[in-house]
Amino acid sequence: MNPIVNMLRQKSPGFGLGLRPVHYPDFLREAQAVDWLEIISENYMIPGGKPLAMLDAILERYPVAMHGVSLSIGSADGLDAQYLTELKALAKHVQPLWISDHLCWTGVQGRNSHDLLPLPYSEEALRLVVRHVEQVQDTLGQRILLENVSSYLDYRSSEMSEWEFLRLVSEQADCLLLLDVNNIYVSSINHGFDAIEFLNHLPVERVQQIHLAGHSDHGDYIVDTHDHPVAEPVWELYRYTCERFGEVAAMIERDDDIPELSELISELNRARAIAAETLSPEVLEAVS
Amino acid sequence: MKTLALADVQVAFHDHLLNQPSSIAQEVIEGGRISVDHRLNIYHNAYRARLLENLRDTFEKTWNYLGDDTFDDLALAFIEANPPLHRNLRWHGGEFPQYLADQFSQHSFIAELAIIDWQLRHAFDGPNATPLQPAELAELSTEDWGSVGFQFAPTFFIAPLRNNSVSIWHALDQEQTPPAAVALLEPSWLLIWRKGWQPHFRTIQAVEQAALSQLHGGASFAQVCDALSQQFSDQEAASVAAEGLRTWLQDELIVGLTGVLPS
Repeated sequence: MNPIVNMLRQKSPGFGLGLRPVHYPDFLREAQAVDWLEIISENYMIPGGKPLAMLDAILERYPVAMHGVSLSIGSADGLDAQYLTELKALAKHVQPLWISDHLCWTGVQGRNSHDLLPLPYSEEALRLVVRHVEQVQDTLGQRILLENVSSYLDYRSSEMSEWEFLRLVSEQADCLLLLDVNNIYVSSINHGFDAIEFLNHLPVERVQQIHLAGHSDHGDYIVDTHDHPVAEPVWELYRYTCERFGEVAAMIERDDDIPELSELISELNRARAIAAETLSPEVLEAVS
Repeated sequence: MKTLALADVQVAFHDHLLNQPSSIAQEVIEGGRISVDHRLNIYHNAYRARLLENLRDTFEKTWNYLGDDTFDDLALAFIEANPPLHRNLRWHGGEFPQYLADQFSQHSFIAELAIIDWQLRHAFDGPNATPLQPAELAELSTEDWGSVGFQFAPTFFIAPLRNNSVSIWHALDQEQTPPAAVALLEPSWLLIWRKGWQPHFRTIQAVEQAALSQLHGGASFAQVCDALSQQFSDQEAASVAAEGLRTWLQDELIVGLTGVLPS
């Protein structure tokens, strides 16, 4: 890592987990060895009731980052004003560490797939995404983070690599990045690219957060399912990510077959250990 | 070969997800270990799997009653005809009870189970309101009682019931064999609301339904008492009204007063 890089990102708050309702009692009963939590924004963009009461109790105890799945930053439909209004209202309430969503599109012509669909890495898509990110950041009054998605296809209209597209979006729109290391691994197998090359081309100063998650290996391809522990090749890639990007907030995402919280904390401790092993005294000094 | 513009690629991709004619395969790069069709099918299948899982979760008791195969067939057909239009998955499935009513016109209890599932889910995360405390009623003057009406919890829902669907739902909830579906002998209604953080529901009969519907529609308590005295003796009407009010307060159904003159 280059220690003279001018960091745009905030100092890392440490190691976190995705907050899931099944773990509310654990987090509210006693302090857990988790530095911060990430909520799925849409789960709390609701009128009221117990989920919002639980969120308020969590906010008294943990720093929280907001992670959305429906911004659809790359949709040719344009941004959904109602969605943005609701997102801004939630952000005002949560006062999050940061707000993230995915570099993808989720629907068009008013329909929503509720999936994170890949964009062509074209000049046209780049212009559209940059314009939308600027609108979102103007509305929210802060930089957002965009996450690389796992994907299973690429388009003939792509004119550059995914990492080039990510880099250009982040630089031209002046936003930050959420690196999903599992997604990089999944896509590298599905598309046959070099995950290290992907990481080497991303701007160090803009990587604010890292996601780690499990996947399902189907032999010829891998699906990003978030229903398994983090796989060994992803841990290896995380080690390289730490070496290149330094001290970055990292967390584990688990959305299905959710285990006991203690099991996720054990997995998170492995991330802590890897990060600690890779941070040399010089790097620690530079990022502190 | 010329490629499509971004908007056209997205429309073609989404049409593919929805099983509509689509040229998206021509826009996808060939190569690698799996075919273009396989790559597109991953998205095609994931779309249905995600929406099906959401409908199973939202309509859990309906799913339990119908079983995996029947529920999934119906849900997948519903998904084909009803692509989500909202950014939040919470709202997908609002038309599913009506879809079931159309499919099972001779078995209306199935749609009723779905209505209970949907309304309970939406009562769970519906808007908050502070329940009215009995002490606030004690402060009303005799004059106020001539005009006072009530605001109800924003999660208040009332709908007619034709079958013993509530008994079936309860049995499923307790993982017991549900009773046979039978038509109710007297007119009944389903009342759903949230008390504290917990959604509640019960079956109500004509007298309570009429009183609640009138009050919810803006009638004053005095007007409801007058209506009751058309059916009952004055003493019985007063007793029915007082008992109703006591229950609604206890159930946290009432969250405010209307028609009270400024003091």
